[in-house]
Amino acid sequence: MIPNVALVTLFAEVTARLTILNDQILSQLNGLAGRSWLFDSLVSSSQENDLIKAGMIGCCFFAAWYSGKTLDQIRAQRKILMVTLVAAVCVTATTKMISNSITVPRPVVRSQKIYQLADDQLVELKRTSVRVPLDEASQKDHRDLLNGDVQSNNLESFPSDHAGFFLAISFGIFMASRRIGAIALGWTVFVILAGKLITGGHAPVDIAAGAVVAFSELSVLRFAARTRLGNLLDRMSMWTIKYSALSSALLFAVVFEISSTLFHVKQVVALLSAVRHRITG
Amino acid sequence: MMRITPRRSFKKRNFKRLTLVLGGLVLFCSCNKGHDGLVLMTDQTYKATVFATNKAGFGAPDGLRWNGSQLYLADEGAGALQVWNKDAGVKRLSDERMGTSSPEDLTIDAEGNIFFSDDSAGGVWEVDAHGGQHLLAGKDKGLYSTEGIALAPDGSILVGDADQHKIFRVTRSGEVSVFLGKESGINKPESMTFDDRGNLYIADNDDNILYLLDGNHQLHRVVDRKDDFSPETIFFARGSLYITDSQAGKLYLYTPNEELKTIAAFSGYLRNIQGVTVDDLGDIYVSVQSDLKNKIGYIIRLSKEAPLQVAVRN
Repeated sequence: MIPNVALVTLFAEVTARLTILNDQILSQLNGLAGRSWLFDSLVSSSQENDLIKAGMIGCCFFAAWYSGKTLDQIRAQRKILMVTLVAAVCVTATTKMISNSITVPRPVVRSQKIYQLADDQLVELKRTSVRVPLDEASQKDHRDLLNGDVQSNNLESFPSDHAGFFLAISFGIFMASRRIGAIALGWTVFVILAGKLITGGHAPVDIAAGAVVAFSELSVLRFAARTRLGNLLDRMSMWTIKYSALSSALLFAVVFEISSTLFHVKQVVALLSAVRHRITG
Repeated sequence: MMRITPRRSFKKRNFKRLTLVLGGLVLFCSCNKGHDGLVLMTDQTYKATVFATNKAGFGAPDGLRWNGSQLYLADEGAGALQVWNKDAGVKRLSDERMGTSSPEDLTIDAEGNIFFSDDSAGGVWEVDAHGGQHLLAGKDKGLYSTEGIALAPDGSILVGDADQHKIFRVTRSGEVSVFLGKESGINKPESMTFDDRGNLYIADNDDNILYLLDGNHQLHRVVDRKDDFSPETIFFARGSLYITDSQAGKLYLYTPNEELKTIAAFSGYLRNIQGVTVDDLGDIYVSVQSDLKNKIGYIIRLSKEAPLQVAVRN
């Protein structure tokens, strides 16, 4: 009995402290916004501009693909990167699935008056104090929010799919090549994800959850690659070396999609879903 | 060849376990989170409360209408017309035994006679003030999939038909005539309501247009293919039109010669908002079909916040 009570108390204490930490980190980083138009515009560019946001990660992926010195090293790295790609797609699907089932608005949305359904009652959520960046895009989004134009993905911020996707890719690159991976991880953490916190797009807990999903799925797939998919990956890595022109072309398409955060793939999936919906009525 | 020491192997095993446990925890938490729903108040003067849930005895209502102290429900989920009041709770007025299948919208005349549409069974149905039920005009008279319904100033019933893309006039004796034909261009007259000047508003949630038919029988497009706008149900009260949008999950207020204003945005489990009505106090009631198949719905009330009391010191 006593150990159970102690455990519950400990859990409550840890949760409370983590919540405070989450709020403090968000407050500190978001506190940088709304002071300088230039700074806010640069941060906003890192969120909106695919070349700045994801182009660097795509470049790192490309570099890691070709960076090995010996044939064995190149094949080993390519196997890791191929697994990384599969993991990134799985992570995107997982984070989407989770965020669709949990309604957690972005901090910037939580600054408004919101009621949440809990036990058949609507409970008003505690409002977060969020500074709105001064750049045009953020100001327009804020005006839209005040007018009630809320995109559904602004209400489903947990876990961060950007964190999951880019951390999975960056971890994968890091496993393939330490130096290039360090650049990719640094860019993901200090440019992409820090930007999310500065603009109030995500809370630290969203990013931490995205990182957990990325790390878990990448680990599981890496484990599967070593045990069950070894032969397949061997053949595929050999194929990329034998048909280097074709594999480079395919790699270009893949890196292009990484750089646009799977935007075009999502469009194709949405089109297929719409076609299916029309056919089945 | 690199050898894995027992210590390193132990670390690796624990690391794998930890990541798997953490990943499983995230999935477990998300699967056990229950039904999340949010209401974002764009108009800060309102507060939102759950007025009633399935525990009251209804399924997943669509059309709503207050009449005195009673709230009438076209309960699409339960396939019944129901009435709720504070003392007696929910009572069925009509259900499948009468031949209805999926009550969609309703209107009530000054004598308390209720008329409702049914998009599956078709027709215009009546439950009179004494509880008598009958089919006023059915499929045999060309009413196949009835949607929006409104009481015309002359006492006849106007009803929209989604299959035929027409609006019909139904007299109290059950005669049916075309009020607005296909040539009007209205694709799906999902909801209709008269304003205080005798203009008829028509919501087309297929083409996403809000129409106004003026006293000269001229049809105007009031809101035409605005981004993310799909009018589901419209209700006129206090000089303004209240509009639900089930696709965007939004409740709008339209006042003539003013911009369309969002009152609240609904999401998650509360996103599929359907009917809307306003009571004598000005409180707004919105029906939500959270899960039509499993007959789960809510009625949400949006009422004005009490103004802040300001203490005045002499």
